[in-house]
Amino acid sequence: MTVATSQIPIKQEDMDGSLGINSVTQDQSNDLGNSNASSKSMLENNEQISLNEFERQKSNRNSAIDSNQVLSQVLPEQPDLRIIRRKITNYVGFANLPKQWHRKSIKKGFNLNILCVSQTGLGKSTLINTLFNKNIYNEENGSNIVNSTTDNLDKIKLEDDNNTISNEESAENTNTDNVSSNNGNNKHNSSNGNSESNQPNVRIESVSTIIEENGVNLRLTVVDTPGFGDSIDNTNSWEPIIKEVDSRFDQYLDAENRINRSVIEDNRIHACLYFIEPTAHFLKPLDLEFCKQIHEKCNLIPIIAKSDILTEEEIDSFKRKITKQLQEAGVKLFKPPHYELDDKETIKLTDELYNKLPFAVVGSTDLVVNGEGKQVRGRSYPWGIVEVDNANHNDFVYLRDYLVRQYLEELRERTNNELYENYRSEKLTKLGINQDNLVFKEFDPETRQKEDKQLHEAKLAKLEAEMKSVFQTKVSEKEKKLQKSEAELFARHKEMKEKLTKQLKALEEKKHQLEMSIANQMTSSPAQKKKGFLR
Amino acid sequence: MSTAAVAVPTNSVGISNLPNQRYKIVNEKGDHFTIMVCGESGLGKTTFINTLFQTTLKHQEPRRNNGPIKKTIDIDITRAVLEEKNFKLRVNVIDTPGFGDNVNNNKSWQRIIDFIDDQHDSYMRQEQQPFRKIKFDLRVHAVLYFIKPTGHGLKPLDIETMKKISTRANLIPVIAKTDTLTQQELSTFKLRIRQVIETQEIRIFTPPIDESILSNGSATEDNSAAIEHARQLIESMPFAIVGSEERFTNDKGVQVIARKYPWGLVEIENDSHCDFRKLRSLLLRTNLLDLILSTEEVHYEAYRALRLGNSNEENKDSSIPINTPARKLLSSNPHFKEEENALKKYFTEQVKAEEQRFRQWEQNIVNERVRLNNDLEDIQSKVKKLEEQVKNLQLKKR
Repeated sequence: MTVATSQIPIKQEDMDGSLGINSVTQDQSNDLGNSNASSKSMLENNEQISLNEFERQKSNRNSAIDSNQVLSQVLPEQPDLRIIRRKITNYVGFANLPKQWHRKSIKKGFNLNILCVSQTGLGKSTLINTLFNKNIYNEENGSNIVNSTTDNLDKIKLEDDNNTISNEESAENTNTDNVSSNNGNNKHNSSNGNSESNQPNVRIESVSTIIEENGVNLRLTVVDTPGFGDSIDNTNSWEPIIKEVDSRFDQYLDAENRINRSVIEDNRIHACLYFIEPTAHFLKPLDLEFCKQIHEKCNLIPIIAKSDILTEEEIDSFKRKITKQLQEAGVKLFKPPHYELDDKETIKLTDELYNKLPFAVVGSTDLVVNGEGKQVRGRSYPWGIVEVDNANHNDFVYLRDYLVRQYLEELRERTNNELYENYRSEKLTKLGINQDNLVFKEFDPETRQKEDKQLHEAKLAKLEAEMKSVFQTKVSEKEKKLQKSEAELFARHKEMKEKLTKQLKALEEKKHQLEMSIANQMTSSPAQKKKGFLR
Repeated sequence: MSTAAVAVPTNSVGISNLPNQRYKIVNEKGDHFTIMVCGESGLGKTTFINTLFQTTLKHQEPRRNNGPIKKTIDIDITRAVLEEKNFKLRVNVIDTPGFGDNVNNNKSWQRIIDFIDDQHDSYMRQEQQPFRKIKFDLRVHAVLYFIKPTGHGLKPLDIETMKKISTRANLIPVIAKTDTLTQQELSTFKLRIRQVIETQEIRIFTPPIDESILSNGSATEDNSAAIEHARQLIESMPFAIVGSEERFTNDKGVQVIARKYPWGLVEIENDSHCDFRKLRSLLLRTNLLDLILSTEEVHYEAYRALRLGNSNEENKDSSIPINTPARKLLSSNPHFKEEENALKKYFTEQVKAEEQRFRQWEQNIVNERVRLNNDLEDIQSKVKKLEEQVKNLQLKKR
């Protein structure tokens, strides 16, 4: 029997006295704010639904988005902030900012992307050439190779075009888009596809060029849609065009969401010239349908082409009919804005310009001598000369004012701030991206401080609760462990003591017996002892 | 033929009018400008802002100037819509009262840096929303850092703070209250500061100079004048300023904004007295747009790229906006940190007390074990003794 086993072992890890909870003191609660915010936004949205409904009725957009979703930007309640308003009479200098923009804009240059939609034979190429005073399109018949003003420092570039997207059927045609500039013929013969097919035979072609005037550069891209309206069945022939406009928005949206956006090219269509056949009747269903499809995606500019075959009265009534038709169809056109500093005369002219829509135009790059002996751009008939740049003869000058001279930048602003934004909102909503209106809040240090404090208190409370609970569990674990080893110690001791006591008793018994028997031997007979010896 | 066409003005396309269109649009829309002033109290930040905008935007808070210095650095925003020659500018002035006023100013730039980052972050999250026609923009376009006119050099706090600011906003260091320095002292002081800025690689805002105009020979009179002006501005940096809201008549009989001393009049708008006009030109007259654009195109983009790059490594080319989680708000209020530390300390102490109790307990167990072992050994020795006796008895018995 060994004594060593009676030692009660105690594990080392129980003995270091540590509770193992030092780590509690490290930061454990970092994102507390989020849960609060989301529950709050739910509330906010519920409150605002009626408002949204109201907003939606106000706007004429017939979007097909699920009506359950919040359809617009709803500003959360703003902090009550004091804003000082003052007119300054002394010189400060910030009024120079528009001038700084003026200078900067010259340095940056301008750009304009226009979409031309027309049936064949409505004088599209001529009109574009007339508008920009440059042969952007080379005429097939070669009758007027009038070189534009900037030809000496000609920067004409027909770009190797990534933007050219045509529908599958005419895909093989796109190669010819890269035909080089001056003598190249950009016009394609009509599609080599099957004209009886249901697919519309509309192609998309684009031409880019840089036009300079007095040190100001304009990068112009004209997107053409040959084949539109030329088939027997023109059902859905607008689809490739709408797709093109959308894909340019998508491209921009994509670029805008990239991490690196140091170079974002604006290839969005800023204006769409729609050529109306000078029938003097009504807009044809195809015209109306196209206008309805396009007007929310780009600035639609309807023009009555080749208007020199209509008399003044015919034009007036045709215009009225078209305007009425467009209005009834809910088609909205860009309306030139009034500026704060405009005088009455300017406002009147601005409104007049808008009322001229749709512009009845005549295009020509031919120079002819008019009745006053001046050289003008015009068309010569036996009965007279139609002067392109004469506002009494046609609306060409108004179109140019509207598209370039007065409102090019406004057209771009509207494209960017309204049309593109609407497209983007709709697209992102469809992609399931939720609007978080709470981010639209004026920063206020006081509110912020309060929020900070709340956040801090919540964090502190969480930290305390966490530490407390960890502390308590660790303590009770440790207590249990120690109690257990204590109990074990006693139990073990008891057991061993009993065993030993038993042993002791047995031995005492044995000893007693032995003593007894020895005593007996001694007293009873020495003979016996002898006997033993003998044995 | 074509040249004839040019001669007729009606033939011109009208492209040369495009910059005027831009002008009209900007003039109509107005703009906003957020400027931050940063520096120890008593350097004339409030006065400067009032002088700059020629109106009392900020009032001197008597409480602030007389009472004890507040311990925490706060953000104070003054908002105004100012109109000059029919052009409206929304001006936000961000002040950071209390900066650098404590004994230990370690980390006192944090509040400033946080504010700048917060504004970038807020704008980014607004920009990501599907509907975002109205946005609130408090991105800081310029930070004026006021340097104390010690005549010696920059303090470590100045250097550290400027370094931190210059990586996220347009930093413009200015020497405050320069009427305490002689011309000689000032030029040495400027030189020292420029050297420190250079060696510490602090990026300060400088007006851009379009070298291409010079090299390709397309410099017009207007352009070269602008470049010359920009050069002068750069040479005068850091601008030495004097602020005042009072008007006096100088010896030429002209009313001027100035400070009046027995020995003379310090004219604010006099280039030989201080650089106020140059600074005003940089901030407003010639380079306001540069400040705004570089904030948007450089500093904001850098912040955005950093945030998106961190949070969404794999999703780089997504065509949908990457929704970033809210910026982790590191509370920069030192008081909060103190409270947190106190709480942690309290628990650490509790833990220590408990550990002490457990150690005692364990010691008790050990002692008890020793006692019990001794007890057992006692019995054991009795057993042994008995065994011995029994053995002897057995031998005896035989």
